[in-house]
Amino acid sequence: MFILKPHSGVPIYRQLSEQIRRMAASGQLQPGTELPSIRDLAIQHAINPMTVSKVYSLLEAEGVLERHRGKPMTIAKLARAQSPLGKRVQQLEPHLEQLVLAARQLELDEADVTKALRSTWEKTDERSLRRRTPAR
Amino acid sequence: MSVPYAAAHRLGKAFYGKTVLEDVSFSVEPGDIVGVLGKNGAGKTTLLELMLGFTPPSGGNVELFGHASYRLPGAAKARLGFVPQQDELVNQLTAADQIGVIASFYPRWDDELVTRLAREWEVDLSERIKGMSVGQRQKLSILLALGHRPDLLILDEPVASLDPVARRQFLEQIINVAADGARSVVFSSHIVSDVERLANKIWIVKDHRLYWQGDFDALKDSIVRLHVRAPRGLPDTLPIPNALSVQRDGATATVVVRDWSAELYGETAEELGVELEVEPLTLEDIFLELHR
Repeated sequence: MFILKPHSGVPIYRQLSEQIRRMAASGQLQPGTELPSIRDLAIQHAINPMTVSKVYSLLEAEGVLERHRGKPMTIAKLARAQSPLGKRVQQLEPHLEQLVLAARQLELDEADVTKALRSTWEKTDERSLRRRTPAR
Repeated sequence: MSVPYAAAHRLGKAFYGKTVLEDVSFSVEPGDIVGVLGKNGAGKTTLLELMLGFTPPSGGNVELFGHASYRLPGAAKARLGFVPQQDELVNQLTAADQIGVIASFYPRWDDELVTRLAREWEVDLSERIKGMSVGQRQKLSILLALGHRPDLLILDEPVASLDPVARRQFLEQIINVAADGARSVVFSSHIVSDVERLANKIWIVKDHRLYWQGDFDALKDSIVRLHVRAPRGLPDTLPIPNALSVQRDGATATVVVRDWSAELYGETAEELGVELEVEPLTLEDIFLELHR
């Protein structure tokens, strides 16, 4: 169903997510079409299951895919608007766990991390503002 | 937060005053497949042996399932599987007997899995180990490490002697182990293309350190080759930040950089009056670039 080239230099998650997005947008994958399970797709292409799971979660958050309890993922019926806040925060969970772990290894406490996070947040804010400035 | 399956903090090892590894910190989470890369003698095997508790650290610590790996309690040992670089099979035994010996240590032994894989991998269980090829011995070692369904599987060059078909079968088993997100694999390999397929985390051991570690996707996004074109000629110096290597050829140059970001290099290109084209690199290219 998909053409994945692990040695192309483009991360596999990006190859897969872009293909699903495109195929859904073009109607090549019709709404309701079932996608292979994470395990099957991983084994078929001999790639990391977490990569597949990451792509599925990402596309679910984007509204391209729909998750059904105990059933295969499907192409979403309607392109949804932004997913609810709780869902989006949930997407952050693995990153937060990583951050906390790294902080603990560095023997930093919650206040140190909060402060650093705020500073990085502000810095990236400035950067994205600059990017939005139109070119001369 | 759950305890990582493996975690090291400032881990180091010296043999007779000679540093083999220093300042190594990492964590392995459930579901991770970690690919360990490094040149011969870089310290990969020492790193894996420290994780397994075969040798005590000279500095720092490494824990498996929250226990110091050097003094791992029995219950934690039962959650660990490993394939050493040199197999530890007993020549006089048949494959079936060797499996029986190992199985007797583990209450959770999955006989059905081992028998099925032996059949699929064409390992003759009635054969005496003495008469087996290096590849057959390697397959048997892997079977023995999978049999008790370990939560953490550590493999040191597990596929060096396997043909491409056997290697693919091995990869499928690794995927099966990690697929439910509850078990993890750490493996070293010189077969970079296998690591490229499977690993979500990469550790590059170089100069006795974990020179690079992190998400594989982040590595691929970080180290890229820039093709520099200058319509008005290349400046004499190319002050490109974080350059690992620079090759000039007339009005063009190729520069490999680490910590690439669209914003930073967009600004650099503008300042230098050049055009930059970004080429993503394969893992093999990245590995070679880091060892120039």
